[in-house]
Amino acid sequence: MNPSHHHHNCHCCISRRDCLKFLSMSALGAGMVGPALSAVAKERSKYANPDYVDVAKLLPCPEVRMAAAIFEKPRPYWLGWPGTTYDLDARQKEYKAKLADSSRRLGITTNLAPSPINDEAGVGAFIEKIKTEKPHGVLVILQSIFCWPWLTRLSKETGVPLIVFAPVGVAFTGHVLRLSRQPGVHVASTLEWSAAEDGMRMLRAKRMFEETRVLWIRRNERNETVMERLGAKVRAIPRDTFNLSFDKQDVSPEVRDVASDMRRRAKRIVEPNHNDCLNSARAYVTAKRLMADEQANALSMDCLGMVSAKLMPTPPCMSWAMLMDQGITAGCEADLFGAFSLMMTSYLLDRPGFMNDPVPETAKNLLIVAHCTSGTKIRGFNKSAAPYILRNHSESALGVSVQVLWPVGDPVTLVRFSNANEMIIDTGKVVSNVNTPPAGGCRTSVEVAMDNVEDCRDVKGFHQVVTYGNHRRMLEAFCQLYDIKVVRSPEHRPEPEAKIV
Amino acid sequence: MNARQRVVEASVVAFVLLHASFAHAADGVAFTSPGFTPSQMNAAGQLVEDWGAVGVKLSGEGVTDAVPAVTAIKLDGVVPAAQAVSRCGTVALTLTAFRAPAYPAGVDVLSVRVEEKQGRAANVTVTLELPAKASAGLRTARLNGRAVLTLPPREESGEKARNWGHCDEASSLPGWAKPAGPCDPAFRNIRAGMGGAPIIYRFAVRPKSKANVVLGFCESHWAEAGQRRLSCRVEGAPPQEVDPIAKWGRHKPGALLFDARDEDGDGRISVVIRGAADAKDKNPILNAIWVFPGGAPPDLKQVIAGKLNSAARRYVDVGGQNDQSLYPGGKLEYRLSLPARGSQELAFFAACQGGVAPIPDASAWTAETLRRAAREVWRDWRER
Repeated sequence: MNPSHHHHNCHCCISRRDCLKFLSMSALGAGMVGPALSAVAKERSKYANPDYVDVAKLLPCPEVRMAAAIFEKPRPYWLGWPGTTYDLDARQKEYKAKLADSSRRLGITTNLAPSPINDEAGVGAFIEKIKTEKPHGVLVILQSIFCWPWLTRLSKETGVPLIVFAPVGVAFTGHVLRLSRQPGVHVASTLEWSAAEDGMRMLRAKRMFEETRVLWIRRNERNETVMERLGAKVRAIPRDTFNLSFDKQDVSPEVRDVASDMRRRAKRIVEPNHNDCLNSARAYVTAKRLMADEQANALSMDCLGMVSAKLMPTPPCMSWAMLMDQGITAGCEADLFGAFSLMMTSYLLDRPGFMNDPVPETAKNLLIVAHCTSGTKIRGFNKSAAPYILRNHSESALGVSVQVLWPVGDPVTLVRFSNANEMIIDTGKVVSNVNTPPAGGCRTSVEVAMDNVEDCRDVKGFHQVVTYGNHRRMLEAFCQLYDIKVVRSPEHRPEPEAKIV
Repeated sequence: MNARQRVVEASVVAFVLLHASFAHAADGVAFTSPGFTPSQMNAAGQLVEDWGAVGVKLSGEGVTDAVPAVTAIKLDGVVPAAQAVSRCGTVALTLTAFRAPAYPAGVDVLSVRVEEKQGRAANVTVTLELPAKASAGLRTARLNGRAVLTLPPREESGEKARNWGHCDEASSLPGWAKPAGPCDPAFRNIRAGMGGAPIIYRFAVRPKSKANVVLGFCESHWAEAGQRRLSCRVEGAPPQEVDPIAKWGRHKPGALLFDARDEDGDGRISVVIRGAADAKDKNPILNAIWVFPGGAPPDLKQVIAGKLNSAARRYVDVGGQNDQSLYPGGKLEYRLSLPARGSQELAFFAACQGGVAPIPDASAWTAETLRRAAREVWRDWRER
């Protein structure tokens, strides 16, 4: 379902108004009203233009339905964990309140079983209910160490993604080990409710993928397909659509404001002049309008081909950075799986990513990640932006691109969908920002010391998406929940060649 | 009517979709997804693709021949589809085909629904008719190496399996390996899981019994280690990983021993070879299998030399002459047990122009998700 065109009759979907209300509370929404993009927020009331496109309305806004239950054993408790002293009523009241709060903040419609389930018959009835209602996920709050077999049954018989919150006192290693590594399951064995909420974020992210239509702007074809497992729709449109739309985009008041805003927020401006910034803003407005026109929520374009053919006076680098700061995936070079990797950080981690070309720095054994666009709100949509310098596109010396200065010493995660069924996940730490010149290549260029990769030449993938922070476990948990294979770069260099007999 | 006539009538098959050609297709129904070349269901109800045609026939007691009525319909109110409906004596057959817009080229979904109409339980056999050169594996049918049709699970088809054989999507490559020195001739041949497909064998054994299983390898493509690392699982034994070059060298026959057991008690021991998770070349290979009785393990040098073949309960020249599929060749059959007034449905996914059929081991597509994909794409599609 495309939320921009929410025209079906499902009574349980949240309305667009409710969805936007939820977004305004979430990190995505907060990003839109953050200081760095204040101009964008103001535009809404400022421009009378009926063609004006509000970025917030481009975001996928899915219905997410989750069943929930508390599993316990018949009371009163006597011996066996969590123990007789464990205050079941108090703990359950606490967790129910947290569940309600998380559901509200994440925009998830949660249907909690009215009373705790405490026997096989109750579990059976709960399973049947799930089979009938087909929610997008199930969350179980565990309140006895003896309930684990029910979880295995629940997962096996329903096939619905299962999130288990097992607060300390209801599990030993042996209980957790097997189920917690099973595809379709996320087990949070902890007192931290946020770990259970992470599971709910995974459900939301998956639903956002399913409700996304990405514009694939390249070649001269028009068709639409759906990506397996992720469920995102891929609408291919001819590349000329973009530059022809761009040509029609005049320097409107909105364009002037966007251009002015990008200059004002820059730490420094090196090559681009005022006209370059106006063109970059025209590309931004063109992209918004095209997405709205095609009922799309994201795009990935053959930008280099367009620059090479001299069809536009600027590559879209800075325009893409502005979209990504608002949660809209804007990918380079029509790399579809690069775009899905950007989407992953945006939808699950609430922050933009930085799709890049990987370069081994063999003298220092570091990986340099470089491209001419990067989101600036790398710490999160609702956090302050990283400083950036306006540059031209280095390969063509055209238009406006961006050098975002990543915080030195901070952790990063590299994520890349090899295909819809496999994700490469690595982590590292920012060592420095590389300037051009003296270096060549792309404008945002960051040296990363890889974790657990002995030799930087062995880092897997191309156009990996770097995102701020170490999110390995969250991404791995998402992959497990949706049965996506996780691959890491090899820790050790390949074995030496054997003698040929 | 004499007994012979009754038998003949009882065994009359309903050739619903036979001998169709592109000439017939002109009278059929075309369907597609936005922006792609259409496929067709011809007037005989056959699904016509760029690789050939696929038809369905029914047989069984009370089943008769029938001519289908082929019409264009809309599924879920939006998805263009072709439907062939025929009443075949005591049962009704409905074939429905639509294009699912699976990235990148789409896939055609053919559903076969058989419904009992006389109020008596019935056993009906659905036979799938494929181009003569197509070969059926466990879950796909292939033509010249291209996966053209995804099949429902054959374990559930009621089809009788042999005592042993391969049941995978791998390819036999006789003469591929060049073993150096004296060894069993089986080391010259392999099966290879192209595209990362696992190699899978099953051997009938006494339920819960033990066996010594020996797998033979000879790598003749790679010269250096670290390329094709193999993950080997034999039921009941600890898994083993091996890089044949690192362990034995190029063109060198080698063998691994597994202390196997029918762990799940289904009367079969399974052997599964995959590319290891960290392998650069993920296409697994296997040259030979020996299944010996449980107990004292065999001498691997003797096994490699081919001197214990007669002592083995099963000796398989993998990819060679004495190899076989777990399922007999010929037509693809699915046996359905229909309750009175009940129905059953089978779903097949066909490669459409320029595409391949999804391979179940490597794909998440299901009939349900393909239908949803079609519905969602057509709902928002506007021609420009």
